[in-house]
Amino acid sequence: MRVYLRYAIRETLSNLWRNRLMTIAAVLTVAVSLSLVGAALLLKQSAAQASAQWQQGTRVTVWMEPTATSSELVNVRSQLESLPIVKDCAFFSQAQDYQEAKKILPTVEWTVLKVSDVPSSFRCVPTVPSNAFVVESTFANQPGVYKVTAPEQQIREMNRAIRILQIVFLVLAAVLLLSATVLILNTIRMAIFARRREVSVMKLVGATNWFIRIPYMTEGFIQGLLGSAVAIGAVTALHTWYPLHNEFVLTTSALMGTNAVVLVVGVLIGSVGSGLAIRRFLDV
Amino acid sequence: MIRFEHVSKTYKNGTVALRDVSLNIDKGEFVFLVGASGSGKTTFLRLLLREELPDKGRILEAGRDVSKVSTWRVPYLRRNIGCIFQDFRLLPNKTVFENVAFALEVIGRPRTTIDSQVPQILDLVGLTEKAGNRPSELSGGEQQRVAIARAFVNRPLILLADEPTGNLDPSNSETVMALLERINRTGTTVVMATHDKALVDRMRRRVIELDHGEIVRDQVRGVYGIDEPVGGR
Repeated sequence: MRVYLRYAIRETLSNLWRNRLMTIAAVLTVAVSLSLVGAALLLKQSAAQASAQWQQGTRVTVWMEPTATSSELVNVRSQLESLPIVKDCAFFSQAQDYQEAKKILPTVEWTVLKVSDVPSSFRCVPTVPSNAFVVESTFANQPGVYKVTAPEQQIREMNRAIRILQIVFLVLAAVLLLSATVLILNTIRMAIFARRREVSVMKLVGATNWFIRIPYMTEGFIQGLLGSAVAIGAVTALHTWYPLHNEFVLTTSALMGTNAVVLVVGVLIGSVGSGLAIRRFLDV
Repeated sequence: MIRFEHVSKTYKNGTVALRDVSLNIDKGEFVFLVGASGSGKTTFLRLLLREELPDKGRILEAGRDVSKVSTWRVPYLRRNIGCIFQDFRLLPNKTVFENVAFALEVIGRPRTTIDSQVPQILDLVGLTEKAGNRPSELSGGEQQRVAIARAFVNRPLILLADEPTGNLDPSNSETVMALLERINRTGTTVVMATHDKALVDRMRRRVIELDHGEIVRDQVRGVYGIDEPVGGR
């Protein structure tokens, strides 16, 4: 066993060195494709997390005209309260909204703003986020209502954009992973082809198939490992230095999970690719 | 040691390589396999190495049915069979010592065994001084002796030789044959396919002649040509 271990290590290293250009190509392809896979996974997870956070706080806001009469206000309020899909409503008077506007708007703008210009509003939480649309369609044309806004629409568009981005990433990653596999397969096949005499002599004197196969599979394994190491570096760097938004930031365990997937996929691609490559040379 | 029972082999392209061949080779025999090109000699050897399987019939080798050896056990079967070829099949980037050691290395023998066995076998083939040379620095005869050393270092029960003197001049052929005889005297069964008439005639060993896949002659102390039969078997 110890003899074989030494033999396998020596063979693997000399193969890697002999085919260093192809090795670099294979490692880089694995790295690029796995980085994309990792990025897509991160994106998917942060999108899921962010949209969960947004949906929890979904509110629909019914803005009243600043000139709305008190009977219009009472009418809207009683309708809102009798609506079963609305869980809870809070009324913000013009003065309260003015205070809020003061916080949000730049100084120049709110100094010219008068309390009487600001709409009063009903901030309501619907039972389920999608009910925000029902509220919107019911109240948009009521007398005294200025506008109904619901962030749901934006969330949905954002989600769709993320989903498309994610599909693009995954398709790209799949194509690149395939080409990485083919590259590794080709590297190993070239290595074996260059040494087919040796392989045939090995078979002749009774070396087992696994004896012949393992150094080449280790070679592929190392290529996959190096590729995924680079990819893990890239994914971690992306996560650390490019925080998109507070709500996108993931926990360390989510990052670790993504990195584990990247590692496993890389190592599998390397070993399986080379295992396939050598098959043809072994059956005699 | 080797037993063929009604063995037939037809290749996929329709070529009939062996047709109902039955024979028996005892332990320690020295057998010449003669016949024109395409008569089935090489197929005979390939079947013994289990590089091919027979379509019909049974091949017994050291008491084992070759067809029944499962694929993963074939390497173990081959460890009992040494093999040399017309083109030597040495590894050009390894020294003589490493070429011979390689045969032990790939079957997982420990370093100590290698270090004791290889010098011994190189001494037997008379190449101790050339141990550090590459095959390209050796003559054809010397290269074939390295190949014999590699085939025999594992002390196989059977030694197969496919035209081992085909590329050698008469004096080198002589040395190689002397070596094969010596190996044969240790009890190893030797099967040698050859075209070398002079050699077969001089050695007077068992001769099996194949023609279009059939055994047409099997003589105990035979010669190469069929035109001068010396007592049938």
